[in-house]
Amino acid sequence: MANQLQGKRILIAKPGLDGHDVGAKVIALALRDAGAEVIYTGLRKTPDYIARVAAEENVDAVGLSILSGSHLELVKLTAQALKREHADDVALFVGGTIPRGDWDALKASGVDCVFDSEMTLEQVVDEVARRLA
Amino acid sequence: MSEMRAPRAPINRRALGRALSRIADASVSDALAVLEGDSHNAQVWRCGITGPAGVGKSSLVGRFVNARLSHARRVGVVAIDPSSPYTQGAILGDRIRIDAHGDDAELFVRSLASRRARDGLADNIANVLALLEEHDFDDVIVETVGAGQSQYEVRELVDTLVVVLMPGAGDMVQAVKAGILETGDIYVINKADRPGAKEMVAEIASVLRHPDGAEGWMPPVVLTSALAGDGVAELDAACEAHRAWRARHIDAESARQQRRRAHVRALVARRLAEVIDSSDNTLWDADVASAYHAVVAGLGFPGS
Repeated sequence: MANQLQGKRILIAKPGLDGHDVGAKVIALALRDAGAEVIYTGLRKTPDYIARVAAEENVDAVGLSILSGSHLELVKLTAQALKREHADDVALFVGGTIPRGDWDALKASGVDCVFDSEMTLEQVVDEVARRLA
Repeated sequence: MSEMRAPRAPINRRALGRALSRIADASVSDALAVLEGDSHNAQVWRCGITGPAGVGKSSLVGRFVNARLSHARRVGVVAIDPSSPYTQGAILGDRIRIDAHGDDAELFVRSLASRRARDGLADNIANVLALLEEHDFDDVIVETVGAGQSQYEVRELVDTLVVVLMPGAGDMVQAVKAGILETGDIYVINKADRPGAKEMVAEIASVLRHPDGAEGWMPPVVLTSALAGDGVAELDAACEAHRAWRARHIDAESARQQRRRAHVRALVARRLAEVIDSSDNTLWDADVASAYHAVVAGLGFPGS
């Protein structure tokens, strides 16, 4: 991977109650190795907190990692919170255990791209870079 | 300690977040263009928190921030983490420990990557701090990259410098003796529950340089546990005592001069990095003296 994300700032956040952040950390490291400055929130953050951090850190993208099954609700709440912070122009990505059948509903809530476990890290980085170009 | 004041406008996080990016990303010529006279606001208290990696700086900042907020002060924090020299990438993880709840209306936290800076700080840090001061904060706190023996540039940018150390780190006292141990206004031994903590307080106190004259500031050594919150009130009180001492003994004009000097030094260092990073490899075909003169000649801006 070249430094294709150099100069980009990306927030990786874990909303909701699931306690597994290995995937979020792997993605955070891959984005860093592609040159991005990655802010990681830690586990169990509220949509309001995530939106506040996105605004303070002036990130180019927010990536949500959700394994709890509550992705439809959490994404909708996060998109609303970003709007309240006037940060709804920030790109929104979602990854985790997201059934394909829910992708369209997520995109309707404001998600720019959904990542699943079938994708390689290289594909994820390429897609993020393409969306932020 | 808390003062009555008129209700303040809430922090505009989006606007300030964007403005901080603009100044953090600015080239030296852009940074110079946006400097409005002398922006240092003497009403704002600037505090630096520095010390080696792993001593618990971020956790301590989190506790300390809560103490400051409890005095009805508006607090801005800048937390710096290192950038990779190869990819420029960075993981900015300090704020997890600083604003765990993230719902305080009077707190603003910004993470910065060190980028080209090699002094434990970040590109344009002086401008970043000046910008925060213009935004109605009472306290501006800067947490450096894990810093070792010689990274004490932060000294010149802050009113009060807190140096954080921890017990059980072997030769830490030896290692820091000549560097940051001469620059702190307050020393903190964090991780008080570890063996040897009290002994380390005594050890540090014994090597600190005493001030000239009875009116000088003698740096206190405070024992804390950022995990349990112990000693944070003492740290807060030590900071207030230093602030009061400064108000009595430090002449505002000489403080301004010192800060201008640090600001100019930082700008020139960045300009040097810009010139060297953008130079043609053929420059290094010449001998050292010729290359030196070519670099120095390039420091001025085109047409300036």
